[in-house]
Amino acid sequence: MDPAALLPTPDAIPVDWGWFHVLLLLTFLVHILLMSTMFGSAFIGFISYFQKDGTANPCSESVSHTLPFIIAFTVNFGVAPLLFVQVLYGHLFYTSSILMATYWLSLVGVLVAAYALSYLLKYRYGRLGWLRLPIFMVIVSLFALIAFAFVNNIGMMQNPSTWPRYFSEPRGLLLNLQDPMQVPRYFHFVFGSVALGGLAIALYFHWQQKQGDWTGMDWVRRGCRWFSFATMANILLGLWFLFTLPQGTLSFENLHTQALVTALSVGILTAIPAIRAGLAGRVVATLWWTLATMVSMVLARDLLRQILLAPWFSPAELEVKPEFTPLYLFLAVFIVGLALITWMVPFTLRNCRGGQV
Amino acid sequence: MNYPVWQLAATGGGLWIILIAVFHVYISHFAVGGGLFLVFAERKAAREKSQAMLDYVRGHAKFFLLLTMVAGSITGVGIWFIIALLNPDATSILIHTFVFAWAMEWVFFLLEIVSLFLYAYTFGRMVGWKHRLLGWIYFFSAWMSLFLINGIIDFMLTPGTWPQDGNVFSGFFNPSFWPSLAFRTFLSLIIAGLFGLVTATWLKERELRDSMVRFSARWLLVPFALFVASAWWYRLALPLEVQELIFTRMPSMQPFISGMLYTTPILVFAGLLCIFHLPPFISRLLALGLLVVGQLYIGCFEFIREGGRRPFIIYDVMYSTSILTKDMDRIQDVGLLSQAKWVAHHQVTQENTHEAGREIYNLLCLSCHAIDGPMRDIKKLAAPYTPSGLDAMMSGMHVFHPSMPPFAGTALERSALAAFITERLVGRYDLPPAQLPAKEVALPDFDAENNAYLLSVWSPVGMKHVAEIDGVLSLLPPKAELRAQLLERGELPEIISEDVLVSYRIEGADAGTLSGEMESRDDYFIAENIVYNPAGSGGFDPYPVLVVTARDMEGTILATTKVVLPVSTEIGCSTCHGSSPELGQKAGLGRSTAFNILAMHDQFSGTDLTLQAQKGEMVRCRDCHADSRFQAKGNGRALNLSAAIHGFHANYLRGRGEAACNFCHPSSLTGSTRMFRDIHAAFGLECTSCHGVLEDQALGLLKKELQAGKERARALMQRLPAQAVSSVEAIEPRSPWIQQPDCLHCHVEFEPPETDTLVQAFTENGEGLYQNRTDESGRIFCATCHSSPHAVYPADNPYGEMLDVLQPMQYQDNRLPLGANENCQLCHTIAMEDEMHHPNSLRAFRNE
Repeated sequence: MDPAALLPTPDAIPVDWGWFHVLLLLTFLVHILLMSTMFGSAFIGFISYFQKDGTANPCSESVSHTLPFIIAFTVNFGVAPLLFVQVLYGHLFYTSSILMATYWLSLVGVLVAAYALSYLLKYRYGRLGWLRLPIFMVIVSLFALIAFAFVNNIGMMQNPSTWPRYFSEPRGLLLNLQDPMQVPRYFHFVFGSVALGGLAIALYFHWQQKQGDWTGMDWVRRGCRWFSFATMANILLGLWFLFTLPQGTLSFENLHTQALVTALSVGILTAIPAIRAGLAGRVVATLWWTLATMVSMVLARDLLRQILLAPWFSPAELEVKPEFTPLYLFLAVFIVGLALITWMVPFTLRNCRGGQV
Repeated sequence: MNYPVWQLAATGGGLWIILIAVFHVYISHFAVGGGLFLVFAERKAAREKSQAMLDYVRGHAKFFLLLTMVAGSITGVGIWFIIALLNPDATSILIHTFVFAWAMEWVFFLLEIVSLFLYAYTFGRMVGWKHRLLGWIYFFSAWMSLFLINGIIDFMLTPGTWPQDGNVFSGFFNPSFWPSLAFRTFLSLIIAGLFGLVTATWLKERELRDSMVRFSARWLLVPFALFVASAWWYRLALPLEVQELIFTRMPSMQPFISGMLYTTPILVFAGLLCIFHLPPFISRLLALGLLVVGQLYIGCFEFIREGGRRPFIIYDVMYSTSILTKDMDRIQDVGLLSQAKWVAHHQVTQENTHEAGREIYNLLCLSCHAIDGPMRDIKKLAAPYTPSGLDAMMSGMHVFHPSMPPFAGTALERSALAAFITERLVGRYDLPPAQLPAKEVALPDFDAENNAYLLSVWSPVGMKHVAEIDGVLSLLPPKAELRAQLLERGELPEIISEDVLVSYRIEGADAGTLSGEMESRDDYFIAENIVYNPAGSGGFDPYPVLVVTARDMEGTILATTKVVLPVSTEIGCSTCHGSSPELGQKAGLGRSTAFNILAMHDQFSGTDLTLQAQKGEMVRCRDCHADSRFQAKGNGRALNLSAAIHGFHANYLRGRGEAACNFCHPSSLTGSTRMFRDIHAAFGLECTSCHGVLEDQALGLLKKELQAGKERARALMQRLPAQAVSSVEAIEPRSPWIQQPDCLHCHVEFEPPETDTLVQAFTENGEGLYQNRTDESGRIFCATCHSSPHAVYPADNPYGEMLDVLQPMQYQDNRLPLGANENCQLCHTIAMEDEMHHPNSLRAFRNE
């Protein structure tokens, strides 16, 4: 079976694909930051139980209090890239989703369960006692499952040559396990999440200190160390990931490859000062270097996708049936929405007794 | 066609969509109305300066946040997941067409989250109006989400002019957009009241509880009039064909329409009841009950809305099978498998019938029909059908099942699909070719020198078709008929019909069970109402041999002959209406089959015949449907039986030529009866050669009924194309049984035929029928010499070559018509020179 013959015909788009590409990258960047914070902070909150301060540690309590909010925004900022990836790569994404449909659909239940448990932790933290640990463990496991499913799906989406397996397993039970990139790619995301989770915890306690609450002062340093060590490991994982790329994927005469190498280089070059700042406990500096790294890595991820899909499809091939008014409307709503949020949050903080929500 | 199919079996048929969507829709409407509820409840607390009430609102807000965030938002994403998995083609259209509407909805979703968090976690810590402002922002954002999603959802039901102009605004602000928005807005307020009742009834303090319960109940009652008005507006906004589909043509919608109609007063009365002080336990029970009623209510509504667009996923744009309407003709022409990307078999062959059928099932059926599951289980639905029956059903399913799309594929693909479903899934097969036993019959003696009389006996119909289950259904009652003429031989033979007794008795295994006397009429004898069951004595014998004897009044035998009484219960009902255990491997009408037919009739015509039969009152078709054979006038409203039966079934049997006749009549060359057994069959003529094809048959009968003012005929004619003539207008209206093809339509002036195919040629009235016509003397029936229609001499009976030529063999030792080959001596005892009976009668028989 020729995989090229299996490629569904995509639908036309209303404006040039570049618009969607930019929107996809922007919203995905926010999503990956939030998702990593969610997964990584939950993981560290869980692991911190096994450290010397055990159940009384302020990290897990803080994580349990903030986790539902992070989940809410992670989901929300997941919706936007999910939308734009459907616009550009829908015909590939739907196909890979169907190939692993059973796992894919189960994510709805998995996410509801993780979300509900996070609220249970938030509202019943004090009363849960020893149950906190298994609940944390379940939440982290569920997050790990979700990440695993997403990495599988995107991996299969980018590799149509594996699609003919459908004819021997059409029940939506396929995974991308035969792909050498799958494991390093997954752990690259997991370790990236742990790093960002550590950084988020450090930032949280740093902000708490600025508010005059010194309860978890040690966690600024510990969060930064989590970040630095996880990032160091992640550079190695990234290299492993790089070496698992199919032979011939990277051709240095190719513009995309050159851009990819540049983005990766920038990513690594900015990660090094981020690690050093983390080890030194300079949380704000770590944040800025990390943001630079994340922008580079998001770009690198996108370039790699375009390289991998090059034999099959490019979004530039999509037919355009021009209709610009809806785009302008969206941009207007987007700007007004952001403005409203920008007004609403300070308005609330300003008018709220105690000055925090 | 474009995508792989997630091969669910038991959980197919849209089960996952229902499980996720119905729940999500309830919560998401609560997320809209509930926001406004919070703002107003908080204002009430502020006005009444009640901290306890404010605490209640805070608690309700927390409950609201948990439910809408955890269950509402994630199941919303879940809907995206599931629709993309089950119908990626349609999802892709929705995403690509409305991408910026979705994107705007995402912005409002973000606003909802931010404002709700701020609102819910700042209770009691902000100045009232400033806090409520956050609530208002939340409500506005949530309502805008509804606004945007509403446009996309209703686009699927009423895409407006989008299919023509492709303009996103035409699709978004479609004909049902505004009424649907009003409907959903008011519904969301009612749902907010339902949830408000749940939390309010749990309040401990009585005064506060009563106050908040009444407050919540008002949310049920106040928007109600507007809600009902918007529902009516919504209905009126739907195109007429959609309205007709939902409210008239789809019986499957009725439980859901009734569900909404019945639960509406429950909501109102329960709301009124809540205004009074009730014991806490009762009010909590009531609140929880109402919550369930609310879920059922919205479930019914969504089911009706979804049902209304069937058989489309996007009305008139894409079928629920993911086939674009504009592609249907092409796919029916070139085939589905050749166009599908994700199939292993791109054409049907003898070797891959089931496998290819399975792939067609995945592409066309699985999205609505589970296998062994709760959603429209195909095994249950297909159980009554044989492969050929299901094939026929699928060819016309879109005509009478408005929720079904036309079959998207070639006839061969349809047949493969039918074979897969019936043979592989259900385990039912078409009947194998019947093995017929050979019958030997001894000829009675005839001495041309000494026998003074000649007795000719025949059945006026070529085959008496019987379909009746005692106490259940009488479609074709078992009343066979024989006619006879007795001639006294001589130079001028005399027809004897007085002072003679003609009796008949069955020969063979059933001897003694069937006998009787024939009545004397002018020039002939007749026996009516002969009841014979061909399946009565273990085997199946549709051609029992009767010995017929003529005696004078003293009992002296004047003449004896034999004849077959053609009676068959082989009718094809079980092909589509389920077999019955008593039928075994035989065709026919069994008890279960009869009940299935009645149930179908009830479903399509709104009758209660099943109930009638269950009470033991036999349903006689002719009580309502006129049937000239039995002088039944019907009820005056229903179509005559022939028009109804042929008109309905022709829609499933189009384009099949002679095979269509064999579906029901005992004419199949592999069946147990093989009723067409005369010389014409030997020359390769088929039923349709004289009668025309089923479509034209049905159209003629229906046109006659339409002329009589029976509008029902129009619906049956709507999708029937004329075959032998250029248009339906050229079809001659026809009365059943009395307007039939006649020999002389081909054998003009008794000459050899110039054609072997008749087009729209029928007798003018009953007198012109072959069974009633005579020779030029007006006294000798055509059948006296030529025998029964469909068995005219020389005929060849499948149970024995002698069976249909017993009399010519007895009288003249050949198989030809009596007197053929100038054998005038048979009656006249001498050779004759003049053609007394009809032109060309004095010549050698052409087809000996």
